[in-house]
Amino acid sequence: MGIFLSKKNHVLLSELVKTDFKLRYQGSVLGYLWALIKPLMMFAILYVVFCKILRWGGDIPHYPVYLLVGTVFWNFFTECTGQGIHAIEVRGDLIRKISFPKYIVVVSATSTAVINVLINICVVIIFALINGVTPTWSWLLVLPSLIELYILALGISLLLGSINVKYRDIGSIWEVITQALFYAVPIIYPVKMITTASPLAAKILLINPIAQVIQDVRHNLITTAAETTWEVSGMVWGFVAIAIVIVIFGISVLYFRKKAKYFAEEV
Amino acid sequence: MKWSDRYLKKMKKQAAIEAANTNVAIKVDGLYKSFKLPTERAWGLKQAFFNRLKGIKGFRKQEVLRGISFEVKRGEFLGIVGRNGSGKSTLLKLLAEIYVPDKGSVSVNGTLVPFIELGVGFNPELTGRENIYLNGALLGFSNSEMDKMYDEIVRFAELEDFMDQKLKNYSSGMQVRLAFSIAIRARGDILILDEVLAVGDAAFQEKCNDYFKSLHGNQTVILVTHDMANVERFCDRAILIDDGKITCEGKPSKVTKAYMKLWN
Repeated sequence: MGIFLSKKNHVLLSELVKTDFKLRYQGSVLGYLWALIKPLMMFAILYVVFCKILRWGGDIPHYPVYLLVGTVFWNFFTECTGQGIHAIEVRGDLIRKISFPKYIVVVSATSTAVINVLINICVVIIFALINGVTPTWSWLLVLPSLIELYILALGISLLLGSINVKYRDIGSIWEVITQALFYAVPIIYPVKMITTASPLAAKILLINPIAQVIQDVRHNLITTAAETTWEVSGMVWGFVAIAIVIVIFGISVLYFRKKAKYFAEEV
Repeated sequence: MKWSDRYLKKMKKQAAIEAANTNVAIKVDGLYKSFKLPTERAWGLKQAFFNRLKGIKGFRKQEVLRGISFEVKRGEFLGIVGRNGSGKSTLLKLLAEIYVPDKGSVSVNGTLVPFIELGVGFNPELTGRENIYLNGALLGFSNSEMDKMYDEIVRFAELEDFMDQKLKNYSSGMQVRLAFSIAIRARGDILILDEVLAVGDAAFQEKCNDYFKSLHGNQTVILVTHDMANVERFCDRAILIDDGKITCEGKPSKVTKAYMKLWN
């Protein structure tokens, strides 16, 4: 992939990322703190509702942090795709007037989400330590999980973003889909709730790569009580989840490359 | 990559090597370009779906360029003139590789700095300095290359005291001056300018005119304009485009005469 190493593209990408980052919270009093406050607020709400009122946590140790991991990774996924899908449309003025590799626009749009999630993971780790989780080497496995989720989000952004250039409904459709997806991923409820109702449903649910990533992170970071795809659905289905990510990304890149030539005319 | 694409690329490479051996900066060969213009509100999935059901195409084909061929020599100042909608800007966008041609080829020998519009990517919330670097990155310059040009750009724009101010606090005249200074101080082998000469007050205009005259013979420039005085003043050669074809080519005086005749 020669294009990824080109100095010119590297400079452009870093300038766009810097600009996005500078402008995002400009003019707000708390500034960058908002990136932290938003997930923490969501966490507070979920904590009160699901830990204190509904008491869904059951016997899962460190359930509040377990919840936090779910929301942080879910937010990362929605923020990434939300920004990425509209990237071409938002930067239409540039694309119409200057020639440059279009994927740069999509990558730069998702970069703020990447920076946010890295900071949020630090917050998660602080909470985990306060909550009495003992650090282990398995914490390092969070990184490959994060990369997997990013590749999935980037793939979806490239694919839907290039369709969105022509059919602006895609952005709205995706918002509706993510709302439904939120309940299809075990974020606010423990997997055990599904397993007791229907073991098959739990197996199918965990083939979703997003669920696989979130459960893996919970398993490696917080507690081995978190059921992973590898345990519930079996090793094969765990690899299927990863294969889904690779296939989506591959198709998206090919489709994007085919369509990118005409963005300047269509956007 | 399809086989035909690969063949095209090879041809392009060969053409580029050929061009490098001669003193040709840009070679345009049999260029065709058309656009699909939506006939009705074909925007959105619903309309696209109904159009397909009814068998309506939903767009009309507009042929903008129909077989354009020309060459620009190194150090030459070429003017392109023509009526509104004749295809000049489309041609520039094809040269700048913003559009892909339907047919024909463009081979560019050297780095090309296109100014289809001044101040592309300028952001009012960023300072003048930040905007220069952002604009430079968009044009393909690295930060160290921009470091070298930075002082000159600021001096030419006469905005030394305002570089740490946000662009939204600039007057519109200051904004164009900054954009224009980047345009003419950006050091590429080939400079493309679309309708961007008339900026600033009389003193700044004077300075720009002097600068353009000093470029003569050293810099390859392609200038699209409606101002015939500028064509005669700066250009070595000019091209008249009408209805997607070159109808007149040669000395600026001859081409401007042909341009004037379009209305008589």
